[in-house]
Amino acid sequence: MMFDCFKKFFEYSIIFFFILTLNFFIPRLMPGDPFTFLSSDEGGVHQSYSEEQIEMYKAYYGMDKPLQVQYSDYFKNLIRGNLGYSIYYNDNVLRLILRSAKWTLGITLISLLISTIMGTILGSLSAWYRNSIVDRGLYPVMILLSEIPAFLMAILLLFTLAAKSSLFPLSGGITVFGEYETWFDKLLDVLHHGFLPSLSLTLSQLGGFYLLARNSMITVISKDYMRTALAKGLSSKRIILRHGLRNSILPIITRVFMSLGSVLGGAILVENVFNYPGLGRLMREAVTVRDYVLIQGIFLVVAFLVLAMNLLADVLYKKIDPRVG
Amino acid sequence: MSKIVAIKRFTLVGKLSLFFIVLLLFIGIFAPCLSSYTHNTPSGESLEAPSRDHLLGTDDLGIDLLSQIFYGARLSLIIGFSTSILAGLGGAILGVLSGYYGGLTDKIIMRLTDIMIALPDLPMMILLGAFFGPSIKNIVLVLVLFSWTGPARIIRSKVISIKKEAYIVMAKSYDASFYHLLKTHFLPEIMPILAITTIKITSRAIVAEAGLSFLGLGDPTSKSWGLILNHAINFKGIYFTEYWKWWVIAPLFSMMMLILSISYVSRDLEKVLNEKL
Repeated sequence: MMFDCFKKFFEYSIIFFFILTLNFFIPRLMPGDPFTFLSSDEGGVHQSYSEEQIEMYKAYYGMDKPLQVQYSDYFKNLIRGNLGYSIYYNDNVLRLILRSAKWTLGITLISLLISTIMGTILGSLSAWYRNSIVDRGLYPVMILLSEIPAFLMAILLLFTLAAKSSLFPLSGGITVFGEYETWFDKLLDVLHHGFLPSLSLTLSQLGGFYLLARNSMITVISKDYMRTALAKGLSSKRIILRHGLRNSILPIITRVFMSLGSVLGGAILVENVFNYPGLGRLMREAVTVRDYVLIQGIFLVVAFLVLAMNLLADVLYKKIDPRVG
Repeated sequence: MSKIVAIKRFTLVGKLSLFFIVLLLFIGIFAPCLSSYTHNTPSGESLEAPSRDHLLGTDDLGIDLLSQIFYGARLSLIIGFSTSILAGLGGAILGVLSGYYGGLTDKIIMRLTDIMIALPDLPMMILLGAFFGPSIKNIVLVLVLFSWTGPARIIRSKVISIKKEAYIVMAKSYDASFYHLLKTHFLPEIMPILAITTIKITSRAIVAEAGLSFLGLGDPTSKSWGLILNHAINFKGIYFTEYWKWWVIAPLFSMMMLILSISYVSRDLEKVLNEKL
C-alpha cells in the first residue's frame, strides 16, 4: 500500500519534471530572441538596443551562460519559489498568482462541490426511479447540459440574467471602493459577484456528474445484495443510502479530483466572460501584453494543482476500494 | 449499404442533428455563393438590427453577420475535421503499433498518453498559442497534440483483445504478415470504434478553438465563431444596448447547435454500433 503510493508519487513527479522541462524549453524554441521583439516598434513603443546593451541584459538575465547552466539555474530558482518577475505588472509572478488564485479556487471549488452533490443526488434518484417521469425529464436535460461548454453557458447567463435584468453584477469579484458595515455584508457582496461564474461552471459539470451517478447507481441496483436488502424489508431510504450510494459513489469521488483540470480550464474562460479577477483574467491580460514569464508561471501553478489532484485521486481510490491495485 | 441502415436506426433527434451537420457542411463549402454580402468588408450601416436586407443584422463595422456566420462555419468545420482526422489517424497508428507489438513500444506510447491525459489542456494550449503565434495551422497542431491519446488508448485495447482471438493466431501460424493482418482482420474491427472517437474529437476541437479565439489567441485573419463572439463581448456598449440580441446570439447559438448535433450523432452511432456488436 505504502509502496504503491510512492510509486504513484514517483510517476507524477516524472510527469511534472517533464512539464518543467517543457516550460524551460518553449521560450528557447521560439524564433528570434527577446531583443528582436523589444527592438521592433510593435505596440507603438519604439525601443532599440545597442550591442553593448544587449550584452549587458543577456548577462543580467543569465542568457549568456551555456544551456545546461541556465537549466540548473531554472530549477534552483523554482525550488526557492521564484517564478520570475513580471515585466508588465512590475511585480513578483508568484505574488501576482497567489493574489488571483483565491478567486479562481473559490469559484472552482464551490462549483465542483455543488455539482458533485447535486449530480449525485439527482443521478441516484433518477436511477432509483428509472423510467419514471422524473427520470425521463431529467435525463435529456442533463445530456444537453453535459455537452454545453462552460464559457458558452456563461455568455448566455451573462446576457440573460446580468445585462438584461441587472439581477447580478456584470463584472468583477467585489464592488469597487465598496464600504461594508460588517464582514457579513462583504461576504454577501463577494457571493453576489461570484454567483454567475460559479453557476455556469456548476451547470457545465452537473450533467457529467449526473450521468456518472445514474450509471453507477443503475449498476449497483442490479446487484444481488440490493435485492436482499429489499427482501429484508428495509426502507427505501436506508437501501439507497446504506447499500446503494456507498457502493456507487466510488467512481464519483475519483471524478471529482480528475475533473479539476477541466473545471480550471472552464474557469479560465468563464472568468474572462465575467471579468472575474482570477487566474484566467490574469492569464488573458498576460497574453494580450505578451508577458511570457507570467503566462509560464500561471501555467506551472495550474499544472501543479491538476497533477496533485490527480495523484490524490489515484491514492484515494486505492484507499477506498481495496480491490484496486 | 450497412452505413445507410445505421442512419435509418438513428433517433429522430439524431437524424435532425445529422441533417444539421450536413447543412452546415454545405454552407461551409458554398459560403461565397450563398451570402449576398462579403464577410470582411462593410455592406451596411454599423449595428443594424436584423432586417430583410441583413437577415442577422450587422456588427460594429457594418459587416453582414449572416455571411460572417457562414464563413465561420467553414472555419470551425475545417478546424474540427482536420484535427479529428489527424488525431484519429495518428492515434490509430500509435494504438495499433502499441497493441500489436507490445513491449518497449507499448510502454513508451502509454507513458506518453499518461502525460498528455494528466496535463491540463487549456492552459497548455494558451501557453503554446502565446509562444508560437496564433494561426490556424498552430491551433490545429496543438489540438491534435492533445487529442490523439483517446483513439490511441481505445484502439490499443481493441487490438490487444483481437490479437488473442483464435483466427488471428491461426492466420499468424500461416505466416500472415502484419500488413495483411491489419488490412483483413484489424481494420474492419477497428473502424467503427475509431469513427465514434474521432467524431467526439471534432466537437472538442471546435469548442477549444472557440475558447482560444475568445481569449484573443485565435487566428486574427480568419473570423471563426469564437472570434465573432470575442469581438462582440469586447464591444464597449454591448451590455447596455440591444445589439447582443443578434451579435452575440447568432454565433453563440450556431456553436451550441453544432456541438449538440455532433454529440447526438455520436451518441446514436455508438448505440447502433453497439447493438450490432
